[in-house]
Amino acid sequence: MTTLDPDPDVDEALDDAAAARALSDAEGLSDKPKSFGRLAWERFLGHRLALVGAIGLLVLVALFWIAPMFSEFEFDERDVRNRRLGPTAEHWFGTDEIGRDLFVRTAQGGRYSMRIGLIAALVATTFGTLMGTLAGFFGKAWDVLVNNLVNLILTVPAIIVLSVFANKFGASALGLALVLAALLWTRIARVVRGVILSIKEQEYVMAARAAGASNSRIMFRHLLPNVVGAIAVEITLLVGSVIVLESTLSFLGLGVKPPNASLGTLVADAKGDIDSDPLRVLTPGIFIVLIVLCVNFLGDGLRDALDPRAKVADNQNSKKAKRAAKKAAKELQRTAPTMGVGDTTVVGAHARNIVSDRNDEESGGRP
Amino acid sequence: MTTPLLTVDNLNVGFATKAGIVQAATEISFQITPGEVLAVVGESGSGKSVTALALMRLHPGNTVITGDVMFEGRDLLKMGDAEMRSVRGREIAMIFQDPMTAMNPVFSVGDQIVETIRVHDRTVSKSEAWTRSVDLLEMVGVPEPKRRAAQYPHEYSGGMRQRAMIAMAIANEPKLLIADEPTTALDVTVQAQVMEVLQKVREETGSAMMLITHDLGLVAGSADRVQVMYASRLMETATVDEIFYESKNPYTRALLESIPDVDGTKTELHPIPGNPPSLLNTPVGCAFRPRCSMAVEECAKSTPVLTNIRGQHSSRCHRVDDLAPLEAWSS
Amino acid sequence: MIAIPLLMLAMYLVHIGVSTTVDPRADFYLCLPRCQDGFDAITEQYDLDTNVFLRPFSYFGGLFSGEGLGQSTSVGDPVSEVMRTRAWNTAMVAVPAFLIGVVLSLLLSVYSARRQYSIGDYTFTGLSFLGFAMPSFVLALILQVVFAVKFEQWTGLKPFNTGRKTGENFLQLARDVTLPAVSLAILGIAADSRFGRSSMLETLNQDYIRTARAKGLSERTVVWKHALRNALIPLVTLWALGFSVLLSGAVVTESIFSWPGLGQVFLRALGDADLDLLMAIVMFTGVLTVMFNLVADVLYGVLDPRIRLS
Repeated sequence: MTTLDPDPDVDEALDDAAAARALSDAEGLSDKPKSFGRLAWERFLGHRLALVGAIGLLVLVALFWIAPMFSEFEFDERDVRNRRLGPTAEHWFGTDEIGRDLFVRTAQGGRYSMRIGLIAALVATTFGTLMGTLAGFFGKAWDVLVNNLVNLILTVPAIIVLSVFANKFGASALGLALVLAALLWTRIARVVRGVILSIKEQEYVMAARAAGASNSRIMFRHLLPNVVGAIAVEITLLVGSVIVLESTLSFLGLGVKPPNASLGTLVADAKGDIDSDPLRVLTPGIFIVLIVLCVNFLGDGLRDALDPRAKVADNQNSKKAKRAAKKAAKELQRTAPTMGVGDTTVVGAHARNIVSDRNDEESGGRP
Repeated sequence: MTTPLLTVDNLNVGFATKAGIVQAATEISFQITPGEVLAVVGESGSGKSVTALALMRLHPGNTVITGDVMFEGRDLLKMGDAEMRSVRGREIAMIFQDPMTAMNPVFSVGDQIVETIRVHDRTVSKSEAWTRSVDLLEMVGVPEPKRRAAQYPHEYSGGMRQRAMIAMAIANEPKLLIADEPTTALDVTVQAQVMEVLQKVREETGSAMMLITHDLGLVAGSADRVQVMYASRLMETATVDEIFYESKNPYTRALLESIPDVDGTKTELHPIPGNPPSLLNTPVGCAFRPRCSMAVEECAKSTPVLTNIRGQHSSRCHRVDDLAPLEAWSS
Repeated sequence: MIAIPLLMLAMYLVHIGVSTTVDPRADFYLCLPRCQDGFDAITEQYDLDTNVFLRPFSYFGGLFSGEGLGQSTSVGDPVSEVMRTRAWNTAMVAVPAFLIGVVLSLLLSVYSARRQYSIGDYTFTGLSFLGFAMPSFVLALILQVVFAVKFEQWTGLKPFNTGRKTGENFLQLARDVTLPAVSLAILGIAADSRFGRSSMLETLNQDYIRTARAKGLSERTVVWKHALRNALIPLVTLWALGFSVLLSGAVVTESIFSWPGLGQVFLRALGDADLDLLMAIVMFTGVLTVMFNLVADVLYGVLDPRIRLS
């Protein structure tokens, strides 16, 4: 059995390699590729809007679910003597025209909206993904079927067709969520179909087929990851749409029925007093906007995290880059007289200094 | 010696990106005399296209350009926008690499040529300009020019599109034609045809041409002088014969050697090992050193200067004097 | 083309949908058997005894044989009459909204794309984020509060009515229509200009824009002739498809501003289980939407020579 004696040359080489790797890591030029998930997560965290959205949602959830526990009022508790109050120490948002506490009702409305958003999104995503996959992957008859089904559903304008069905089924949260999902699955299906169609023809799928992979294997290993990325964004948009549509329907009187509250019905209730108390009318609306904004910010962050290519053009045109260019030009003008023979541009000299500071022997080898 | 048409003096082009400044062209100086063909050769990223775009002032917004570009006595980089616009398309015209994307898909080919004519001469009527564009299409060898002029770019074949681009470029009889890889996007058989068209229009209009390419084969057939670029710098500039038979630069020689020998017996391919360096933080010394078979210590310490060897032949290499004469290189 | 049979199928399903969700006899169940006569009369009128899947045939049969669209129980006039006046009123708001939307989204798209990353661009980007999150009724109420209620309180002037059609002459109508039309248009502008901005940006990055500049064209020509003409193609189809969104929005806007249009009467018909009127409205909007979709397809072919079939 032979043992390897520690070879000083090898050690030195390994040290050099480690140093080089540390250096390139510091510059973000690591030669070990980070996994897609890791990269996506890092990009997401770096996305300020997405973080704002996430925090905002957490705050709203706390507000709607936890804060009401500190209030002693019920959502349908009437106190007609104390009606139409502005915000007080007891009634944080004031009271409505029959004395119900507005904060508790607003919180209920908020919970209702978020709940419906999630349920509808879930149903729409499941059904939409299924249909989109059928259409995109198997094509031909399935594609024709699904496409025409989508066109059929989208024939009548959204509010109108939703109103008709919400009129009958919209009283319960589940019913309303299903009605909304029945319309909105089309969006998910379209996206999924598009993604699958574009990937199906790509060469690496054909290569996999040529290597003998079965249909389901292709579907799971190659197509699904891309699909997940695309619909993740679409789902957040969908939740936003559901909340907006639900509140609109409730506002029109077609959603949840009294005494339950939805943010939409709260606005409708307050509309009569718009001249004297406009804030009461607008507050639930502002909450709707906040919820959807946070969800949209999350979606934006997701989109950037999963598809970094969209940001490439930014590099060239960003204000920062332009400013840097102006600064560099000024530098060049300022230091031009001191350029010596063999000294190239100031930019190059500056770069040279940085490099020599790092004592980098291996020049030019870094890709 | 005739007064040069274009004199580029110490041109430097850098891009400011979020990651830092990318030096795309460094200390570029050259001249073009009226009627001559200067070939600019190099790998992708060597800076050849960047140079051309910079002197036309067609660069993107985050670019830093310094230096002088004198065209017929006027500094192109310093003139006002309106004046520059009158130069573009009239005195200096450019042909781009991919003719499919270079033409607007929603206007007919004839309309786009007419536009070139009329923007520089308002006195020309639409019908006059249309006739002229049909004539131009005929000159560049587009069949059925009258019918074709009314068609859209997507209805043309690749070679025809490039011919149409050439027609558009010479519409105002420019003094300088810049062809940026005019044949790269085309089939090999079509490439020769397009080069013929370029030759022909040059004869008709007498314009000089700056031919940018990575294909040395094109150079041999069309150029008067050649300059070789690598990693944003000029490596060697010489007449076409001097480049092919008496090159005094290791990079040029390596390029020549890497051309596969189609006629001879099957020998090993000799690609240049390694990759071009990053232009982001340009290292010290000669940019080609890591891939150069003749590199010495000096090469890592300082960047060689462009030294004149004889007449118009200059090379940037520390070991210019050590280079043995090339064996006869037959194309 | 498949659009026509699809439309017919849609109408068939619409009738079934409306029939199953709306019951004009709803009030009568409580008073049976006293009001049996009224009950039977309604059953007779709307064929409520026949199988729901067969009813559409008799409905459409009657339609084409001259029986007309029926009588509106909520308004009291023949449905055709109601449709005529109400559709006209809705158009009075919807058409200006459409025009405002087209012009403003176009201008905003070009501006945002050319002045990318400027303060104006960031502002509009922020506003459009807001627009995506805001339901139309919230926006309409904000406009109403600011311009109708508060404006009067602060300045004593009342430039816009809080809706309600007050007069017939042009100036008064303009006053009445402004708030509802703007309210209807704004959210569409937010969405369209985002899309237009990215379409414009993508177009401006194309090679042929560089060629146009290389030819010596002025920046204005490059943007407004070469770039816009290309960027407009998908945008125009978006406008055409947005029509259906406009109709949806009209329901909300008319409700808030008390505008006597189709949207308002739709809600009333829904509440009163006015079957005939409801059918007519849903059919009408469906047909219009399909028509505008066809227009969008045709326009795409007109604008993009690559799509035109040889």
